[in-house]
Amino acid sequence: MQICVENLGYRAGKKVILQGLNLELAPGAVNVILGPNGAGKSTLLRLLGLLDKPGLGEIYYDGRKRSTMSRGQCTALRRRCGFVFQAPLLLAGSVEANLRFGPRLRGLNVGDHKIRLVLEKTGLNGREGQEARLLSGGEKQRLQLARVMLLDPDLYLLDEPTANLDPLSVKNIETAIARLAGEGKTVILATHNLIQARLLAAEIVFLKEGSLVQAGAAAEVLSRPLSLDIAEFSAAENIIPGTLVRREGRTVLDCGQLAIEVVSERSGGRAAAVIRPEDILVSEKPISSSARNSFRGPIMAVADLGAVMALSVDCGGVLFTVFVTRISCAQMNLAPGIDVSLTFKATSVHLLPLD
Amino acid sequence: MSYILEGLKQGAALLLPPSSEILQIVALSLAVSGAATLLAALAAVPLSLFLALKEFRGKRLLVGLVNTAMSVPAVLIGLLVYGLVSRRGPLGILGLLFTPGAMVLAQALLAFPLITALALAALKGIARDARDLALSLGANRRQLAAVVIRQGRFAFLTAIIAGFSRVIGETGMTLMIGGNIKGQTRVLTTAISLETMKGNFELGIALGIVLLLTALAVNVAMQGLQGK
Repeated sequence: MQICVENLGYRAGKKVILQGLNLELAPGAVNVILGPNGAGKSTLLRLLGLLDKPGLGEIYYDGRKRSTMSRGQCTALRRRCGFVFQAPLLLAGSVEANLRFGPRLRGLNVGDHKIRLVLEKTGLNGREGQEARLLSGGEKQRLQLARVMLLDPDLYLLDEPTANLDPLSVKNIETAIARLAGEGKTVILATHNLIQARLLAAEIVFLKEGSLVQAGAAAEVLSRPLSLDIAEFSAAENIIPGTLVRREGRTVLDCGQLAIEVVSERSGGRAAAVIRPEDILVSEKPISSSARNSFRGPIMAVADLGAVMALSVDCGGVLFTVFVTRISCAQMNLAPGIDVSLTFKATSVHLLPLD
Repeated sequence: MSYILEGLKQGAALLLPPSSEILQIVALSLAVSGAATLLAALAAVPLSLFLALKEFRGKRLLVGLVNTAMSVPAVLIGLLVYGLVSRRGPLGILGLLFTPGAMVLAQALLAFPLITALALAALKGIARDARDLALSLGANRRQLAAVVIRQGRFAFLTAIIAGFSRVIGETGMTLMIGGNIKGQTRVLTTAISLETMKGNFELGIALGIVLLLTALAVNVAMQGLQGK
């Protein structure tokens, strides 16, 4: 479903929850609404799902205006949406009764095999007869997802579906979400979990205090954040503040003992360098390359992230986080106290103005 | 003390078996208060649903009015209804004063804000979730109302019990509007009040026991319903 948002605003009493939002959401892909608590993520989802009325602005669904839809048209559109609430909303009764509730409202009767299928997809096999309200938090959340999947909507609106869940449930839900996008469904997922955003997002919309900070392709937003908020929130591991200066015809960011060469039109003022760990090359000896930045320092800590190891390296008072594969880590005998060289290109440094 | 015990003994004896007069009083009490509660609930349930689900300008004022109306003394409502139905009042032509009809009207007016306010308070936590659930799964307007009523049925039931208990125990207003006419508008509370003042303490006690048992039976029945 093609969804467009124009100058959207919403207030609760006098408090502004959303304002001046302009968005174009990608159809058939996972759109992640990212932002800290209170950013307006849930409200945006509720407005998109026609659960609340916008105070201002317009939402277009496949080109049709929200404001001119009749009550019947709103109901018809809601039947093309599936909403998963942050706090599970379930009816008293069995898992199966909860699943059958949606089709019943539509006057449909679904076969047992369909029920079994959605339970399988969400890892709830064989739970048909269980009392829904006695399920664990993760199971409740998966039941909510199964309930909307059974209705096969075009648009999925998921409000922090994995908040406070055990890792297995999270994995289950993330797999199901990834599959939905593969089937061409439009998914809008609100989360403040960055790892999840990195894992699932095709597009990212970053909200803060009810306003849009940045929207675009996930890779773009994560590697080229437009504001320090996003950089910090997206846990960009290396955010290094300094002062921009011209030196020998080049622009460098002066960070005290360290000077990082950057590509910038500006040559003055405060700025922060954002460098993705995967853009930094780690070597035992300094290497000669076209990369303009090379620093040396001792490893302070090694963290096992599973597929990769994260090293903290102290170069002239700046703590860099870099990733190496488990194999390289073993081959190079990387351990705390050992000196290594870090090399990265000037073009890998993303600059954020601080003033 | 022996005076009270003697009264209790004689009162209980009057109920074994109860006279046709007592039975008639009980029947009228139940009929009048039951009808009044039903009437009030028919208006209060939709209003509390509306107030719980809708956001609109002036909602707080309206909720405030309902809450204030809940604390209006019964005797003032009696005064109002008396003015309406007495021969010179706007409804005087109907000749309702000192009839069970007028008593139903007054008791319904007394119960209406109470049921509305109690149901609204109990619905607060339920209505929005039920609405979200129903709407998000594609309910139309009629289905939405059905889901919210179903989810809020205990809220309504509790409020309605409270409303019934309030009106069946009401005395002053009912006396004013009904007139406590023997065989016509005499109900449990007005009869207790009259008989006790006449010195028929044991009859007052007998009727009091019936009133208590009635209230108890209604509450037990309602709780039985809730347990389901």
